[in-house]
Amino acid sequence: MRIAVYNSAIPDVTANTVPRATRSILPFIFRLCFFLIVVSCLAAATDWSVPEQQLARKIVAITGPGAVSLSVENRSSLSRRDNDIVQNGLRSALEGTGLRFVKPEQSAANLTIFLSENASSYVWVAQIQQGGGAELAVVIVSTPRAAGGSSAGEAVPLSLRKTPLWAQESPILDVAVLEEGATPVHLAVLDAERVSLYRMQGGRWQQEQAMEISHARPWPRDLRGRLIPGRDHLLDVYLPGVLCHTAGSPPALSCRESDDPWPLVSGATGGNDLAVFPSAGLANGASTVVPRTAAFFAPTRNFFTGVLTPAVGKFAIVPHFYSAALVPREKYSLWLFATTDGQVHMVDGISDQTSKFGWGSDIANLKTSCGAGWQVLATGPGISADSVRAHEFPDRDPVAVSSAVEFPGAVTALWTEARSDSAVAVVRNRETGSYEAYRLAVACSQ
Amino acid sequence: MKRIGWLWLVVSSALLASLAAETRPQYGGTLHVAMRTAVSSLDPADTGGVDSFARRSLMRLMFDTLVTMDESGRVQGWLATSWQASGPQRLQLRLRRGITFHDGNALTAEAVAASLRSANPSWNISVDSDSVTIEHDNSDSLLLAELALARNAIEKKMSDGKPSGTGPFQIAEWQPGKKLTLTTAESCWRGRPFLDAIEIEMGKNYRDQMLALESGKAEFIEVAAEQFHRVSVDGREIASSAPMELTALLFSREATSPDDKALREALAYSVERNSIRSVLLQGAGQPAGSLLPNWMTGYAFTFSAEADLNRARHAHAQTRSNPTWTLAYDPNDTVARLLAERIALNARDAGVTLQPSTNATADLRLVRIPLASANPSLALTALASATGLSVAKTKSDSVEALYASEQALLATRQIVPLFHLPASYAASARVKGWTVNRDGSWSLADAWLENRQP
Repeated sequence: MRIAVYNSAIPDVTANTVPRATRSILPFIFRLCFFLIVVSCLAAATDWSVPEQQLARKIVAITGPGAVSLSVENRSSLSRRDNDIVQNGLRSALEGTGLRFVKPEQSAANLTIFLSENASSYVWVAQIQQGGGAELAVVIVSTPRAAGGSSAGEAVPLSLRKTPLWAQESPILDVAVLEEGATPVHLAVLDAERVSLYRMQGGRWQQEQAMEISHARPWPRDLRGRLIPGRDHLLDVYLPGVLCHTAGSPPALSCRESDDPWPLVSGATGGNDLAVFPSAGLANGASTVVPRTAAFFAPTRNFFTGVLTPAVGKFAIVPHFYSAALVPREKYSLWLFATTDGQVHMVDGISDQTSKFGWGSDIANLKTSCGAGWQVLATGPGISADSVRAHEFPDRDPVAVSSAVEFPGAVTALWTEARSDSAVAVVRNRETGSYEAYRLAVACSQ
Repeated sequence: MKRIGWLWLVVSSALLASLAAETRPQYGGTLHVAMRTAVSSLDPADTGGVDSFARRSLMRLMFDTLVTMDESGRVQGWLATSWQASGPQRLQLRLRRGITFHDGNALTAEAVAASLRSANPSWNISVDSDSVTIEHDNSDSLLLAELALARNAIEKKMSDGKPSGTGPFQIAEWQPGKKLTLTTAESCWRGRPFLDAIEIEMGKNYRDQMLALESGKAEFIEVAAEQFHRVSVDGREIASSAPMELTALLFSREATSPDDKALREALAYSVERNSIRSVLLQGAGQPAGSLLPNWMTGYAFTFSAEADLNRARHAHAQTRSNPTWTLAYDPNDTVARLLAERIALNARDAGVTLQPSTNATADLRLVRIPLASANPSLALTALASATGLSVAKTKSDSVEALYASEQALLATRQIVPLFHLPASYAASARVKGWTVNRDGSWSLADAWLENRQP
């Protein structure tokens, strides 16, 4: 099936890049650890003994105990490791039924086992040739294929680092990290039907709670949503035409139809109307006060209507946009809007300048201690799917300050996290079809 | 190739497509579609029409089924949210709430039951407040697969006789067999589609469709399997389904004598499927020795598709007669004549005489049969029904039982599988978000037109 890709580039602009600094060994360690975890999880998840025993019983029902020759051919997507495990298991199971393995010329029956598969199952086919005749007896067993998997990580200089947070089959709209030590230990995952809370216990994620989202109207296609931690409650959930709040402990979710605007400035909701940030590009530590700007989201569409509250200077309305990013300056804030016509509108309160940066439709800002202190993440085309790259704005032209981080599919969401120095990117894995959420954070260059 | 081949093909198509500039889905616009099939009825339950990928695709634009099948062949809720056995061979399906037909009336259990009864007069269906219960003589899994077929989509007849559905688009204009105009269903339960309208021109052959695509008159077309590689240039987006169409030789009568069976065996062994696929089909599809493709069953490779001239000649040598058989092909199918002629040449090498013909009353026919479902048991049953063969009913859903049924069908020597072909489609680069389903149909429910400013 074809897979839509949301975030390739508007052509004709080549982004500037900074030189690559020395690569760290960290990404290799991340990848290795992840690989080992995934491999061990998958290996532990599959029990082949039942189909092995079933097939062995069916075979011996035809051949009877005695000497047979055996060959096994893997025609499936089983890994070499699983193939070895299955082959050894089959041999043991067959021996357990009284069969002995000999060379073909010494055997009473020649047994060929094909490890095959169909769309939903592994299918193991045994062809049995007895007494040198041309007729083949065929016996078959099948066992369902396991689904699922998790995610990955890597890093580059001034470096945008992606860390896997969560993966699931149904579309993820947003992920919020609610508690963390060295790594996240408490997550909220938003999808179309519920907010699920997960806690890391004993090295594994355990579902703590699932809170259903009630909504009267159908969701738009290309559904989008946001999780915003509250100051005095766990979460606010923004969905098209619906606003939900958690209350109590354990939290309960109450939802209502609402056209309340979605916050564009990161940070927990429920505080005052101003956020104080260090200004971009200023070494003197001056700060910028930024109104907690919010924007109305079209309840039956996949974009913001363009109506802002409060207004950005004289601009209360900008064109329909998919996403926005903020770059505070000493005396003003520059807002970037990735509009539905594929352009980027730069609004500073006095002027609205339109440009094409070769970006996709999702952008987000980070407040960091690296570089100019503010970076704008933007989606774009990668080598085989989407990528995300960090940019800074010395003036009105973006300068790419990181290499592009490649993803295994289309980026379907990119939101700044509440802590402001990282963002959550959700990707639909092109190969598996599952949705994977990553945390994107900038690591300072040496 | 160890992995399932069609998956690679489809993914590779998507990779080609992904290099173009794209954005989030955009709303608006009319999509122009051209198709070969001249669909004469928009009633999903109308069993008079021939099943085709195009018909399935159209039905899914306007109507919804109670359940669907996902990429792994698992049944997923659609208009029904859940189901459970309410007794032996009784399945109760609970309906999703808050859904309305295009005419504004609510989807009720009564309406669902009426629609299903219309499509399946032999089913015994009862209703509860928000559920329907179906008594059946199949396994539950086979019934669910059947409910996922487009022919079991839920419709409601409006006062003017037109069918009304719950799908993403509704009928605006309908000229049977010629043109269908659909407009968006604003209140669709799965959200308003991105497109405003779809205009579908029917009865266009592959060449005319390609011309329409090149001239900008159509933005979405069907592509003959053998043309797939040629079309995959010039920034077009292309995609294929899993191999879902069986090309086969179908005898018009049962084999009546040992000679007849031996001759048919000789014919089956004589066909050089691999070289025909390479040359005439331009590498499309897969040679088939089985009725169902391997991705569906996992055992198809046990039915050899290799030509074996020695066995063919040996089989022919067992016979005392040497009749001339007429082989009919569809004169409107450009590649069918070439296939028939090549098969006749192969057969001659084995001593079997075939005379290609466009006469409908031939001894055997070259047929293309779209497989009804990605569920192999249902696909085999429907295939047998479509070809007039009889398949023994099994109570087991096991792969082994399926294998036995298929083996029995092939042993009749009334059908000789040749190829499994995918359904292929092409679209202009500005059409995004379209997909090809496992059953060979296309889906434009999430399609949208890119409309970026220069």
